[in-house]
This record gives sequence, C-alpha cells and structure tokens, in this order.
Amino acid sequence: MSTTSLHRTLNADELQHFGAEIDALRARTVADLGARDARYIRNILKAVRFTEVLGRGLLLAGAFMPAPWLTAAWLAGAVILGISKILDNMELGHNVIHGQFDWMGDPQFNGKTFEWDIVGTSDSWRKTHNFRHHTYTNVHGMDDDIGYGVLRLFPEQPWSPGRLGQPLYALIFALLFQWGVAIQDLRVGRLFKGRITGKELGRQFAPTRRKMVRQLIKDYVFFPLLAGPGFFTVFTGNLIANGIRNVWTYTVIFCGHFTTDVETFPKSIVKNETRAHWYVRQVRGSSNLSGGFLLNVMTGNLSHQIEHHLFPDVPANRYVDMAPAVREICARYGQHYNTGSMTRQFSQVLWRIVRHAFPSSPAKLHPSLQAKRG
Amino acid sequence: MSATAPASSAPPTSGPLARLVAPLIDPSVFDFWAGLVNPAWSWARPLARVVARRIEALDTVTLVLQPNRHCGKVKPGQHINVSAEVDGRRTTRSYSVTNVPGRDGRIEITIKRVEGGKLSTHLCRDVRAGDVVELGLSFGDMTLPVHPQGQWLFLAAGSGITPLMSLTRALAAQNMPVDLTLVYWVKTRAELCFVRELRALAASQPRFKLHLVLTHEADRLADEAQGFISHEQLASLVGALSGKQVFACGPGGFVDTARALTAGVARSFMAEGFTPSAPASTDPAAITTVRVQLLKSGRALDVSSGQSLLVALEQQGLNPASGCRMGICHTCVCTKHSGTTQDINTGDQDTEPDTTVRLCVSRACTDITLDI
Repeated sequence: MSTTSLHRTLNADELQHFGAEIDALRARTVADLGARDARYIRNILKAVRFTEVLGRGLLLAGAFMPAPWLTAAWLAGAVILGISKILDNMELGHNVIHGQFDWMGDPQFNGKTFEWDIVGTSDSWRKTHNFRHHTYTNVHGMDDDIGYGVLRLFPEQPWSPGRLGQPLYALIFALLFQWGVAIQDLRVGRLFKGRITGKELGRQFAPTRRKMVRQLIKDYVFFPLLAGPGFFTVFTGNLIANGIRNVWTYTVIFCGHFTTDVETFPKSIVKNETRAHWYVRQVRGSSNLSGGFLLNVMTGNLSHQIEHHLFPDVPANRYVDMAPAVREICARYGQHYNTGSMTRQFSQVLWRIVRHAFPSSPAKLHPSLQAKRG
Repeated sequence: MSATAPASSAPPTSGPLARLVAPLIDPSVFDFWAGLVNPAWSWARPLARVVARRIEALDTVTLVLQPNRHCGKVKPGQHINVSAEVDGRRTTRSYSVTNVPGRDGRIEITIKRVEGGKLSTHLCRDVRAGDVVELGLSFGDMTLPVHPQGQWLFLAAGSGITPLMSLTRALAAQNMPVDLTLVYWVKTRAELCFVRELRALAASQPRFKLHLVLTHEADRLADEAQGFISHEQLASLVGALSGKQVFACGPGGFVDTARALTAGVARSFMAEGFTPSAPASTDPAAITTVRVQLLKSGRALDVSSGQSLLVALEQQGLNPASGCRMGICHTCVCTKHSGTTQDINTGDQDTEPDTTVRLCVSRACTDITLDI
C-alpha cells in the first residue's frame, strides 16, 4: 500500500466503507433536525439585527457627543457594526444560502431567496461558491477559490515576475475582499483573453452593479446623511465596519483551504469520481480552526471547514457535534484531520503567500489520490 | 354572502406612503422588527393571529383567526391552507372555514385531531390565543349560488361537517332560502360538533331539519339515529331523494357510498372527500424502487413506486411545498420532465414529458425527473 506522509491510500473497499460511515453520520444528524436548530438560526438573525441597530445607533449618537465621547462611541459603533456584518455574512447568510435551513420551509431562511449585507449578490455566490467551490474543491482550473485569480498559493499555479508583488496584492485583496468576491463570477480575465465582449460582460455585471450601488448608498450616503453634521463620523465608521468584516472573513476563509498541509488536485481527479472519493477530497482539501463557541459563531462555523465541506447543507450549528465523529472516522482510515489554532493556521497561509510569490515547482504529485484512481 | 375585506391589522403596504418607501424597505427586515411589536404584522406575508380557541368536541378545536390585510377572502364552504411550524418545520394543511366571515374578516377553522397528524395535533393541542399562523390559498367549489333555492340535502360524516356547517350558517343568515336537511354521522356522541347550535336552528327554523346519526354508540337519545349510510337509512330519515340537491362531505369511502346511493335519483350531487379513495389498482408485485431525479436541488433519490411522490420525498427528508394532500389545491404541483407517473386516485398513467404532476396524488411508475 502506497502512502503519503499524511494520508493513507485507501483501497476500493476501504473507500466504500469510509463513504458509508460519513453517509451514516449525515443521516443520523439530519434525522434529528428540529425546533432546536430553528431556534438557533432565529437567535443568530436576532443577534444580527440587534447588533446592526446598536452599531449604527452608536455611530449616529456619537456624532452629537463631545469629543472624548465621540471617539469612544465611534470606535464601539464601528466594531459592533463590523461584528453585525460578520454574523450576517457568515453564520447567517453563508449557511442559509447553502440551503442548510431549507427543511424549515420558512421563507425567511430559504436558501434560494436569501440576500445578505455585502456588495456581492447571493445569486452569483450560489454559483461560484455553492456549486463550483463545493463541487470542485481545490481542483486546479475548476475551483476559482484557489487564490481567487489574484494570488499564487500553490506551486501548480504558473509563476510570473509580477507575482513578486503578491504580499502587497494580498493585503489590498484582504481590505477589499467583499469586492473581489462580488466580481468573482464575472471572470474579468475573459475580457482580456477576448473570450467575451465588454457589452456582454456589462450585461452580466448589471445585477451585481445594482447591489453594489444599493450597498454604497446605504453605508456611505443614507446613514451618513441621517447624522447631518456628523456625516463623516458615520461615513468613516461604516468604512471601518466594512473593513473589519473584509479582513476577518478573508482570514477565516483563507485558513480553510490554504494551510500548509492541504492538498490540491488536477482536473483529472473529478472524472468518474464517486461520492466517497469526493468525501476524501473534501477532507484533504480543507483545514479547521480549533476554538470554542465564540470562534465557531464568529467564523460562521467555518472553524469546522472539514465538516462544512463534507456536509455543506447540514445546519452549521451541528458541525461541533459531528466533528469528533468525523475526526474519529478519519483516524481509523488513516486520513489526516487538519486542525490547529487560528494563529498557527493563518501563519501557514501567510507563508504560502510569501513563498509562492517566488518561483516554486510542485513536488511529485501526491500518489495517494492518484494511485487509487488506477 | 361573500366575505368582506379583512380588517386591518398590518401596517399599510399599498398606500402612497408605502409606495414611496417601498424601494428602501427590505421586507424581511421590516417583518423582523414589526414582528417584535405584533407577530401578525408583515410587509407582505398573509398572517393571522389566533384570537380565541374553543373546544368543539372530543379532540376537536375551533380556532378563531384574525387575518392581516394580506390574506385573501374565503367563502363559506371553502378550505384554506394553514401553515404553522411543528418541531422547526413549517407544515401546511388545508382546513374548511366553519363560520361566515363578517366585516371584521375573522375566520374560524375547526380542526379534528388526526392520530399521528402533525399539524392537526399541533393546532388542537399546542396553539393558544396570541399565536400566529400563516394563511395560504383558499379553494373549493362547494360554495353557495347567488340565489340559493330548492330542496337541499347535506350529508356530513365526521369532520365532513366543517364545510357544511359554514354553508348551513350562511343559509341561516339568509333566513334559510332553501329547504335544508342535514344528516350528520359521527362515531360517538362526544364527537358531535356544533350540536347545540344546530338543534336550536332546527327548533326555530321550520325549513331546516337535522338528523344526528351515531354509528358506534351503545345507547341513543330520542332524536338520534344509528348505523352507517344506506339506502334504507336515507329513505327513513330523508324520504324521497328526487329533486334534492345533495352535498356530501366526509371520508373518501363515505363520499363514494353517498354518490352511489343518490346517483341518478337526486337532482345534483357535489362532494368533497377528505382522504383519497383506495388506489384503483396497485398490483403489489408491480411495486419497485425507482429513481427520482430532482433537477433544481441536484439530488437523486431511490424511492418506492408504491407511495405518493410527496410522501416518498418527505421520507427522504425533503420538504416540498404541499397543501391538501388529496390532489385539489395544487400547492405541490411541479413539472415532470420525463418518466411515467400514475394518478393514485384515478389510476391514469401519464407518460408525456414536461407535464405538471401533483406530488401528493402521483406515484412514479418508472424513473422520473422533476423540476424541484
């Protein structure tokens, strides 16, 4: 049996059993869904709404306070609004849009119609994320989330001298993350390669443009104008809040697939891939963050990236209970369960950003997934 | 006699002010904050608040609902889809209105608890005044004509009394323009609904006659009959059927018998059955496992061809939109792209591609593809 340093190669029989055990874990979790999960997501919605009002309220009120109070209210308002946007985008929006709560039948939590407080439309997200990223996770040329077309994070991606500026691009991309995600589905590169006309691209951009304008007016015109003389207090507060959300979501998401030990795959892997193969690929292509309840909520449970990739449409609040079982199954089948503190995982991401700014060449392909495909 | 516009219990959404602010409003955000003040307030959703709860009979409860302005009108004799959350899952069933909706728009539904019934158990046991339910489409053709006349015969079995009670009340409100006889079958006396009101109406209104029939009660009172519906029983209670307009409501088997007994004799026959009649022909040997491909959700499920698609999908953990579960409200209709389905009620097979099927009364005979 050939092995890599981290993952044992599974024979056909083992693979089938691994898949069956993951399926069984899913089935017993789904069978238990009910009022507890409905209550959880409603509480998250409440938290989003109340923190938004509190954050915006503090920014507004701060504009009318004397100087020392102004700074305190401005800072608290911006941070709380940032937290509200993080909760809205991650634990609420991302999970609801996955259809995790469709079983409730409540139109408010319907994955097909939910819209979130971010410049990207949920429609384009459903395509780039729910379909492409989750189906073709970490497959070069199919999963656009590998570096988002901006960064070179794996040696399999082509190097060019322009990559030397990558640490700077990475920083700018972090600050503007929501904008990058919003236009991801447009694949603007097609324009330069002559695969699409500017007019057609403009047509495809229209829904996102409408959403962007709406978000810009809300955060940088409507609420600042409400403050009257405090226009700039609210304007800058909202800017900070959006920035906090951008940097945090970027950090969490990068920790999910770009740590040192994650694997990426060639296109050939998806040919005739069984569900069990797909499970194995999700485990090898994802990495978790270890932490408690607060980290789970604030990362939208992407701290359980492995569980999320195995069960993208199971309510995320269940991942914490499923994780020990997944970890135990992985251990029995010799599959490395990639987890660590946020500091550890993100420093590995930063190293990738720096390392692959310079030329690098792929190590010999991991034989583990290749071998069993025969 | 139709219902008047429901009284307002929701903020304005159609006035000039509402049109002005509408582009600024996210309905779900509005609903969240409005719902904290009054759970029946919504920007666009048809919600109704339970304002009273009455025990009507054994395992039977009447809920008085105050709809908000987004709810449609409903006429006596019609059903309305009612949705509530049971263990986190929104569950929809249709119930007959039992009152004559008046100026305040209030409607009453009378629910008999069905053993193992998710929503009926919830509505009968858990729901209290102040709770909110969502209302959906109202439907049903068993409504009053503009000028009711002639001799009418209502045949009600069990919870089949509900649409016929609202029609009886509507006729009473018009000072009984027809000669009406109501025959009402129940198993035991404790299950009789509305009995005091019906007796009082029979006493005061010479054109209204009431016959109560108990099928499973050992002793009976002077004005109670016994036994299942039969030719002899109808003859002794009602007399000649000729010239009578018959409305029957009850379980599928009861309605089939009522139809057979009155066919060709009565002037007309209208009916609603609560449970689908037994399948025309389900050869047990023909039941196999078929694959149902769901296009929108991208899933493929293996289900038994012996059950309705709705039940099969629900058993797989899906929650497709559904309502009456008897094939009349069309809430669960979806497009079938390929494969053969069979109507459970009629036995008709459908092999055409790209036709609509009602999940609740269709079974898959072959592998099929659905647009859900």
